[in-house]
Amino acid sequence: MPDTANILQLESLQVHFPIQGGLFDRVLGRPAGAVRAVDGIDLSVGRGEIVALVGESGSGKTTVGRVITKLAQPTGGKMLFEGRDMTSVQRASALRPYRHRVQMIFQDAYQALNPRHTIFDIVAEPLRSLRLVDNRKQLADRVSEALASAGLNPPGDFFARFPHELSGGQRQRVVIAGALAVKPELIVADEPVSMLDVSIRAQILQVLVDLRHKHNMALLFITHDLPLAWLIADRIAVLYLGKLVEIGSADEITFQPRHPYTVALLNATPQMGGDAGRAEVPALQGEVPSAARVPKGCRFHPRCPLAFDRCRQEEPPPIEVGPKHLAACWLAN
Amino acid sequence: MSESIIRYSGRQARAIKTFLGRFLGYGGAQVGLVCLAFFIVVAAVPDILVGPLQTAINATGEFLAPPSSQHVLGTDEVGRDVLNLVVHGARISLTIALLATVISLVVGTTIGMTAGYYGGVVDVWLMRFTDFFFVMPSFVLALVITPVVVEVIGRGQEILGFRPSLFVILVVIGMTSWAFVARIVRSQTLSLKERTFIDRARVVGSSNFSIMVRHILPNLVPQIAANGALVVAGAIFVETSLSFLGLGDPLQPSWGTLLSLAQRAGAASAGAWWYLGAPGACVLTVSLSFVLIGNALDDTFNPRRRVIP
Repeated sequence: MPDTANILQLESLQVHFPIQGGLFDRVLGRPAGAVRAVDGIDLSVGRGEIVALVGESGSGKTTVGRVITKLAQPTGGKMLFEGRDMTSVQRASALRPYRHRVQMIFQDAYQALNPRHTIFDIVAEPLRSLRLVDNRKQLADRVSEALASAGLNPPGDFFARFPHELSGGQRQRVVIAGALAVKPELIVADEPVSMLDVSIRAQILQVLVDLRHKHNMALLFITHDLPLAWLIADRIAVLYLGKLVEIGSADEITFQPRHPYTVALLNATPQMGGDAGRAEVPALQGEVPSAARVPKGCRFHPRCPLAFDRCRQEEPPPIEVGPKHLAACWLAN
Repeated sequence: MSESIIRYSGRQARAIKTFLGRFLGYGGAQVGLVCLAFFIVVAAVPDILVGPLQTAINATGEFLAPPSSQHVLGTDEVGRDVLNLVVHGARISLTIALLATVISLVVGTTIGMTAGYYGGVVDVWLMRFTDFFFVMPSFVLALVITPVVVEVIGRGQEILGFRPSLFVILVVIGMTSWAFVARIVRSQTLSLKERTFIDRARVVGSSNFSIMVRHILPNLVPQIAANGALVVAGAIFVETSLSFLGLGDPLQPSWGTLLSLAQRAGAASAGAWWYLGAPGACVLTVSLSFVLIGNALDDTFNPRRRVIP
């Protein structure tokens, strides 16, 4: 089981994208707004732990992943990797050791592979750019090893192929192999199976779970699919409009959800065998509001079936409702 | 692994074959390639085809004689064979056009890709710089620079095998045609850099330089190739115009220089149509071939979008 030391820690992480006001606004001196994609998140990932970040589209989950992989720069808060502050490190040379240890698996495997590179070059790219190998023999060995552990066998058959010659599942395995090649300690997986056929999903998930067992690799699994998160993760964090609304162990979140949003997400999942045993909460109405105009008070109140006056005025803090189980709701107590 | 390397080359060959099949399917490409091949052969071995370049001293014919069995394209005002002049002119015209295109593609691609990739302040300044060259008239520039260079270098000298005025034409065409390439490359880079594989390259630790060279540049090749052919056509046209204005070199005559000589000799009013017609037809044919090839390349690489400048 994962040990307790955190490999990654996010402290009130904030990513705001400024909105360029029109000329009219600027002349009148109106303040330009901001899209509050991520609005103060506290989250930690332990060594060898699988944490699922669950949310609807527009909840900011992908932005969190981009911050962790240094593709986006936070506008506030801190990001600690093994206790070291990585928030403001931006120079490519200074980032190299970090890149060696944190990798990413992308959602759209076809887009993530350069159509003009062979599979060998794609998987070898991190090894070459991070200068992790000394000679071609070593390079070929590491690439073979990565392809094999991503389930592409025999690896040699794939070296000279181009992405368009592979199936969707194979492409996703190539993306995984590319991330594995450097033997990272943390992988951010952004919806790694959402573009795949159901029949292939289980295999890809199995690859990811195996890696954790074999290499004690931590995984931040970003998904919109709560049951899938339960299947793979140790802990689940539920994100709504850039803020965590509930976080706890996978079982507790799934079977004893305390936030109405989590409940609604669970109810929205189609299930075989009817609706027996479901909590009596009506289905979620409407859309996620724009992150440029976050509602006052609890940001979920316009869609919450249980909202009352206090929710419209004050934003609820995370309340401890169980061991390591936090829910940001006035009704959680 | 050796086996897969063999298969790799097989795949490459197949990809090239598919590309050629589609490219050669266009009638324009066929016409363009045939004409171009003809002129390249002519430019490669002029001495074998028509003997050494004739001058006023070793001229063999009458003055302004119409085409005959002895002089297929007639003669000029000092009795030189027009066919001989046109064949030798092909070499100068094509060399200048191709070298100017190389300058233009290298500068345009570098600046366009850098501006598009880095964005922000770099983009703004590089594109203002590009705008400056975009509006710079090649004629005025050449007219101003040529006398200065000739004065500095000296009349009889050569720069990299070109006489000074030809070298100036070459550089001026390169300088004034890259802006168009830079804009096209920049816009393509802007869309390429948003692709996920660029994000991935960053996450796996590739440097900006290697992302540009290994990820963006290979994906720009279609645009560069298609527009490169159009730039050559433009370069031939500008070279001809500049030479016609008298900036060419009489000792290394290009087609434009011949047209200029013909005009000064009063070929039009003397009814010497062969003297004006021969170089004119050559310029027309070669420019047209490059335009046809460029358009066919554009259609092959990008059947849905068609950009003609």
